[in-house]
Amino acid sequence: MFLAKVIGTVWSTVKWPELGGLKLLLVRPYSLEDLAGALPAGVARAPEHDGVVCADVLGAGVGEDVVIAYGHAARVAVSELLPPSTPPSIPIDAAVVAIVDRYAVTKPA
Amino acid sequence: MIAGRVIGEVWATKKAPGLVGRRLLLVSVDGEDRVMIAIDTLDAREGQAVLVAPGSGGRNVIQPGPDNRAVLCDAAIALLRDDLPEES
Repeated sequence: MFLAKVIGTVWSTVKWPELGGLKLLLVRPYSLEDLAGALPAGVARAPEHDGVVCADVLGAGVGEDVVIAYGHAARVAVSELLPPSTPPSIPIDAAVVAIVDRYAVTKPA
Repeated sequence: MIAGRVIGEVWATKKAPGLVGRRLLLVSVDGEDRVMIAIDTLDAREGQAVLVAPGSGGRNVIQPGPDNRAVLCDAAIALLRDDLPEES
């Protein structure tokens, strides 16, 4: 998993049928420099690295910090929140698994 | 496994049901600018050097397999290192 900031939404009309109705978000992972740079206030610098598109079943909004799981864990997270009839083979590799209230970082050596 | 050091913790109220009760730690990956979040079952403290098991290896830390495919985990702290001193 990794910590990321939601920076946008992705829309698509033509897509794999199993992705129908699934919300897609664009997020940016926080790097060590992003997190450690703003200490001790605890407010990280906005991440500037490559974006990741992930599925969202928790309702995260732009500007929020989220925890993203990838691979099989992402499919587990999405399928446990969708109706039981949903096929387990959704073609996603990243998903929001938590909307962050707070995080604390100590300055690494 | 991935060598790193615990640098912090994340708290969330709204989360996937599979994460309820899990402790989520921020782990800085040795030699990289990357920070990952790993599930902790070993009570690792900040500054502790750890090895993180990614993927299904991490799932086995949470619940030994093979019937653990429903466990929501893509990385877990597998061991606390004694060979490196704690940093704060």
